[in-house]
Amino acid sequence: MSGEKKTFSVSKYSKLIILAVFILALSILRPKAFLTVGNISNVLWSVSVIGIMVSGTIYVFLLGGIDLSIETLCGLTAVVIVEVVTHMGNSVGGVIVGILAALGVGALAGLLHGFVITKFKVPAFLVTFATQSVFLGLSMIITNNKIVSCTKPKLFTMIGSTWVSIILMVIIAAFSWFLLSRTVFGRRTYAVGGNATAAEISGINVAKNTILCYVISGLTTAIGGIVLASMTQQAMASTGSGYTNDVITAGVIGGVSLLGGQGTVQGAIFGAVLMGLLNNGLNLMSVPSTQAGLVKGIVIIVAVAFDAMQHADQSRKKVRKVVKKA
Amino acid sequence: MKKMKQTTLRRFISLGLLLVLIILFAILGGGLFFNADNFIEIVRDASVVGIVGVGVTMAIITAGIDLSTGSVMALVAMTMANIYAYTLWPIPVMIILGILVGIAAGLCNGYIIGYLHVPEFIGTLATMGIFRSLTYIIAITDDNGVIQSQPMTVYGFASLGYAAGYFYLVTIAMIVFIIVGQIVLKFTRFGTNVYAVGANKKAARLSGIKVEKTQLIVYGISGFCCAVGGIFTAARLQSATAAIGDGFEFDPIAAAVVGGVALSGGSGDVVGTLIGALFMATLKNGVLKLNMNTAYQYVIKGVIIILVVMFDSAYKAHMDRLAKERGAKEGAEE
Repeated sequence: MSGEKKTFSVSKYSKLIILAVFILALSILRPKAFLTVGNISNVLWSVSVIGIMVSGTIYVFLLGGIDLSIETLCGLTAVVIVEVVTHMGNSVGGVIVGILAALGVGALAGLLHGFVITKFKVPAFLVTFATQSVFLGLSMIITNNKIVSCTKPKLFTMIGSTWVSIILMVIIAAFSWFLLSRTVFGRRTYAVGGNATAAEISGINVAKNTILCYVISGLTTAIGGIVLASMTQQAMASTGSGYTNDVITAGVIGGVSLLGGQGTVQGAIFGAVLMGLLNNGLNLMSVPSTQAGLVKGIVIIVAVAFDAMQHADQSRKKVRKVVKKA
Repeated sequence: MKKMKQTTLRRFISLGLLLVLIILFAILGGGLFFNADNFIEIVRDASVVGIVGVGVTMAIITAGIDLSTGSVMALVAMTMANIYAYTLWPIPVMIILGILVGIAAGLCNGYIIGYLHVPEFIGTLATMGIFRSLTYIIAITDDNGVIQSQPMTVYGFASLGYAAGYFYLVTIAMIVFIIVGQIVLKFTRFGTNVYAVGANKKAARLSGIKVEKTQLIVYGISGFCCAVGGIFTAARLQSATAAIGDGFEFDPIAAAVVGGVALSGGSGDVVGTLIGALFMATLKNGVLKLNMNTAYQYVIKGVIIILVVMFDSAYKAHMDRLAKERGAKEGAEE
């Protein structure tokens, strides 16, 4: 037990080192561009959106599932809030109704995912792969393939301002951390992700737990969409494009196992911070976003391959232990 | 015997779905949709999905998936565009190099999945981004660095997009791919291994099948199919752009699902995928001919996949229950 604790603190330390190296490298390579107030707030924007979304999708990752519909659901919720606000005359009431509507869409999407995955035993990637297409189509239909914009009222544009979005991320991450590490629900989520059959046998309602996890993921994706819409003061079907990869990469960098059962919210937020810096760094090095996928893809493969290797090692060790005892 | 019946029934269901769609569009669109030229067009549209679908089907039968197909197509097309623009190499050399790039990309997928043990959908999701980025990196640019599409109009290449008699060359290629794919899956040892790996990896390994190697080859084949798909796409467009195959990865998977290839692995065949490919092409064509917003296509595609998958799952559960009951009854009689 004590050994486990020790390795944990070491790995925590190494994360801080990686972060420091990253920031140092960027400040040396692009001192004039990186260390400006405008750029730092750019980084924080990007971090906050990814952080908000990964705080919820981590529940899906912990189950060993995945959500490929993040980016189009994000786009759909962004479109919904902008459309509602503009249709209600840019009033404060409109913003509140819009937020509720977007959250409702997110929760419904999560409910649908969870329902189909648990009741019909369909793999998560396929369901979310299919709904990704549905959400994209819906936002294209709603916006009629156009960009819809919304610059009023102040309440709406405020949500996406740097500091509000950062505070929002901190609150959501803190709540998610509490839920995951201090409640029965969180414990059950780890149990289901570690071994669904064992969890079922020990009396956990796996289906209910799974559905709840997907609803949470849908909700945070919706909040991400709301913040994005407010930041850019516009929305279209492709709002949020690229975020599926970013969120998954953030989780993976942060030590969340896509095989399920392992990972913490702190880790995921760390991943989001690193992702934000990575995005910004690539941007400052004038790497076009179309080419950034190369780096992110390699990061995902290396991290997951490493994770899978460790899994295999652990099970081999277990077998050895059993053999020794015998 | 019962199992045989079940798969035949599933084939009828996918054929029925296709028929219903055709009848629906024929009623709604009339002669605009329901004419011989349009059907040839639909089959032409289905051809690239069918070719790529052969590889994707094999991947799904091993209980895997390939999300990188569209990106591999683009990478292959862009490789050829570079050779076309900057060298004087003959067209066959260009095509062979393009195919080699596709196979290499597929083998990368296979290695990541088989030997690095990265789950299929994560590995190919990552390589989807990687191959697309590579495509943009090698994309042809003008003097200002703006990415451009490279016209490839020389007859030797563009003729691949033409028709021979009634059918387009791509359709003939697709038919060859489907036949060869079906033979490989059903009548060769490799095909049996593919089914065995998908049905139960552990059992396959214990019975001496090299699971990793089988996966490597399957994704290599998928890369090869993508390469051929990319070549025909570029030939049809008579140009290559970095955006070729963007969002394409959806169609072969959807085709396989509609065609009754089980995502849990171990069952299905490429003929089913062909029916699925025709279904997807009919849908696309019908939506276009009826002048509907293309957005509806995305919604309908997604909804159909979910419904078919839900049906398959419920149907399988029902059949399992029946089999169990029959077993119990027989046991009681004894």
